[in-house]
Amino acid sequence: MTSQRDWRGLLFVAPFLLLYSIILIFPLLRGLWLSLNQVDLFGAGHFVGLGNYARLLDDPIFGTSLVNTFVVTLMIVPALTVIALALALALNRASRSAAIFRGIFFSSAVLSVTIVTLIWRFMLAPDAGFLGFLAKAFGGEPLPFLSDEHLVLPALAITTIWWSVGFPMLLFLAGLQQIPEDMYEAAALDNAGRWTTFWRITLPSLRRTVVLVVMLQTAAQLQLFGQSQLLTAGGPSGASRTAVLFLFETAFGRWELGYASAAAEVLFLLILAVTLTQYWATGQSKEASNGR
Amino acid sequence: MLFAMLLGSCAKGDGKTHIYLQRFFGECGAEYGGSTDVAKAEGECGIITTMINRFNAENPDVQIDVNVVAWPGYPQLTAQVAARDPPDLVTMHEGVISDYAAKGLVEPVEGYLRAAGISPDGFTEAARQGVSMYGQIYALPWDTHGGLFHVNTALFAKAGLMRGGKPVLPNTTEELVAQARQFEQRTGKPYLIQSNVGDPAFAARNLYTYMMANGAVLFPDAHHIKLNTPIGIQVATFFRRINAEKLGSQNMDTPGAIAAFVSGEGGIYPTGTWMIGSFEQEATTPGRPLYKNYAVYPYPRLWGEHVEFVSGHSWVVPTRKRTPQQRDAIARFFKFMAAHNYDWVRTGHLPAFKAVLDDPRFKALPHRADIAPLASIGRPLPSNVQRQNAIEGIVGEEAAAAFTGQKSIPQALAQAEHRVNDLLGQVD
Amino acid sequence: MAADLRRGRLTPLGWAGLLIGAAIMLAPLVWTLLLSLKNNGELVGHSEAALHGPYTLQNYAAIFGNSLTLRWLLNSTIVALGQTAGVLILASLAGYGFARLDFPFRRTLYIFVLVGLAVPSQAVILVQHQLFAWLHLHNSYPGLILPGLIAPFGVFFMTTYMRGIPLELDEAAMLDGASRWTIFWKIIVPLTIPAQSTLAVFTFLGAWNDYWWPLISATRSDMYTLTVGLAAAQMNYAQTSGLGYLMAQAVFASIPIFIVYIIFQKQIVRAMAGTAVR
Repeated sequence: MTSQRDWRGLLFVAPFLLLYSIILIFPLLRGLWLSLNQVDLFGAGHFVGLGNYARLLDDPIFGTSLVNTFVVTLMIVPALTVIALALALALNRASRSAAIFRGIFFSSAVLSVTIVTLIWRFMLAPDAGFLGFLAKAFGGEPLPFLSDEHLVLPALAITTIWWSVGFPMLLFLAGLQQIPEDMYEAAALDNAGRWTTFWRITLPSLRRTVVLVVMLQTAAQLQLFGQSQLLTAGGPSGASRTAVLFLFETAFGRWELGYASAAAEVLFLLILAVTLTQYWATGQSKEASNGR
Repeated sequence: MLFAMLLGSCAKGDGKTHIYLQRFFGECGAEYGGSTDVAKAEGECGIITTMINRFNAENPDVQIDVNVVAWPGYPQLTAQVAARDPPDLVTMHEGVISDYAAKGLVEPVEGYLRAAGISPDGFTEAARQGVSMYGQIYALPWDTHGGLFHVNTALFAKAGLMRGGKPVLPNTTEELVAQARQFEQRTGKPYLIQSNVGDPAFAARNLYTYMMANGAVLFPDAHHIKLNTPIGIQVATFFRRINAEKLGSQNMDTPGAIAAFVSGEGGIYPTGTWMIGSFEQEATTPGRPLYKNYAVYPYPRLWGEHVEFVSGHSWVVPTRKRTPQQRDAIARFFKFMAAHNYDWVRTGHLPAFKAVLDDPRFKALPHRADIAPLASIGRPLPSNVQRQNAIEGIVGEEAAAAFTGQKSIPQALAQAEHRVNDLLGQVD
Repeated sequence: MAADLRRGRLTPLGWAGLLIGAAIMLAPLVWTLLLSLKNNGELVGHSEAALHGPYTLQNYAAIFGNSLTLRWLLNSTIVALGQTAGVLILASLAGYGFARLDFPFRRTLYIFVLVGLAVPSQAVILVQHQLFAWLHLHNSYPGLILPGLIAPFGVFFMTTYMRGIPLELDEAAMLDGASRWTIFWKIIVPLTIPAQSTLAVFTFLGAWNDYWWPLISATRSDMYTLTVGLAAAQMNYAQTSGLGYLMAQAVFASIPIFIVYIIFQKQIVRAMAGTAVR
């Protein structure tokens, strides 16, 4: 290691950190202050200390929204990671057909959430939906994905996976690029089979990328909002209301800025806990101190 | 960046008084452009676009700059007000006015009405109630809209429920159940088409209307709602029954319900005035299931009084500094809108002015004679209750759960009450 | 050659999986395209009408007929390009700093950045709005570009990738007397082109499809981005009419992103075909 503790290193990170502190950290801190007040969007509020938090603890709607959020994240992240990895492995080649397939699997990612939810309503709705049509064609009953409280979260998960598979796939592809060729050469020389090569060489080398994908996707899906708002409006009766939707409804719909800020802080802390746990558990911090 | 800032704030050097108007209803410049022919325009977007064009043409010293926003436009308006840069005129649902009026974020409009020669006595009852609060008038009412029973008369005929060319509508809950069963037996299709999914307004409308009909006082004061009462339970039990006995369709959301009605998959779709245009188009297109088979009426009286929950659109004037010329321009705009209320009601909404109700042109519009009573039986929520949109969302969500059996009725009503009271408790 | 493995043939099962997956991906998109080519009136209540003719380009005509569409397209392009350029620069610089340089509080600051990943945008958007109002930045390009620059994802991503580059390269260059900046600019940056391309695509897409911030920050219709403008032009709140138009918007708004993707795809592929990291 040839680097010295050098203040000049800060110059590289300073521009980002400066903007970041002003535009993200300051509002976050101000939100923390707001969460200690009962204040609506326009009025002067008054200080209530931890009153909003106490109210949150008692609020079954908030509690349900947190549970929903975690459940849907668990439904999405493992499946998404596996599918994206499989696709990246299958399409990691320079052939024309692979490029076309990569484009196809990326295409859903370019759509905005408004369109995605509209499309998937037509897929999931029992009467007019494509899946309902298929079910009937096979003699079954269409599943009421959007109105049954037990099916609604899987519906959100399916929609989200369809929408989100493009980016993790790209990330894995980029990660596969950085695996040195010699490793594969050595394996080929040893006549290693495909599976062995995969488990012993590819996967370990991809470890960093897998961790990256899992961390990012977990943080992202814990903030799931648009699909919940537009596909099911959080329904039926709150069965698919996620935490951010709760936040949004409280702030924009009910103008309760203080209460919404408290909910935001709680959600933030939970996501932070999950993210940091993943970061440390996967030994990233060890690598950081090695400077690799 | 400088260029962009200049664009936003440049002083218009054309000598005209500029008024910034913000509305929803969509953008149809492609079709209507600068047309001023209001009589030929169709639909909410077409009519409002041509009306504003015409106002600009008739008032050469005034220029209304229009900003079209996505429905309902409140997140943006809130942000604009918070940034101290609100528009001059905004379309606003009557139920939302109190949120802004209570904080002085919109101006009382009596001055503009006076300058325009408009008397509040000319408003319909529902309209007047909707814009009056805290002892003043805070908006120019523009229309009233509410729930309607849209009827497929061909299926009704098949069910033996037509008399003298008109559908037979029930007068009591027992009649409705009996007729619904009869309908089902004879046509094999559900009596009611319901958008139970993702449409809290549907359930809220039903609950509000029939509780009001029973004489319930939903809001004893501006900070409390009362739903978990014998009347509330009675009404909710009735709707639960409809779903339990499958007298209405299940698991449909709004687009699904519209599709079903338009395809002749049910007898009645209790949606609102805003669908008259689309359904009328179906009714005049040969080959369609609704061709010449469409009729529409206000919600029937099933209990007590014949009243119905309604809301309406209105024009508000956000608070900001204005020149006397701008105030004058706003007054003239009000006068123009009041004078052209008939043109607006071609969209299917009901007029805000009594004079239009009596206008023979209005009565000659298809189905209007049948739905005109809505203007007098319509009742908005008390205008001093704030957060009505949020409340409707909560009540609708819990009511839908009660109606479909997802929750028990007392539980749903109690939770609705609790959540709404909690919300209103946070409001000044 | 590693290429042997990479160009290894897929099993028939693999092919089947790919084809089914592709069909699942494409079916909704084809559906969108078909809907966009239908008259709105025909689709009310009968979306299956999209499966047969007559088809029409009137929805696309309506998009262009709106005099502001091209302006919105320009706004979106400027904002998306601005954000992409900004993120690539800031994230690469910061990523290099965190991955390679040892400066005081490095670990703390990195965690500080990670923390931002956990903040839902809806949580801070209203305070951000107040902040920008105070700075008089609303209804301006900087106002639309700046919030997107602080996304921690970029820094996290570039740091991770830069760490994957063997240190020996840096050491060799330093032996030759190269400065930190030269190493960064001449060695590290070219080696992270696949990552940069991915980040560029990701950022461009995020900026292009962003709805809530432009909605409340650009409140004058000539400053709308394409997403906001097209949403405002929607006829009806419940999307019960204007379905064809809505889908035409989706297709129209997606084209620039596909172009960006195709351009950057080449970068990813080029890196794939030869210059693997030794």
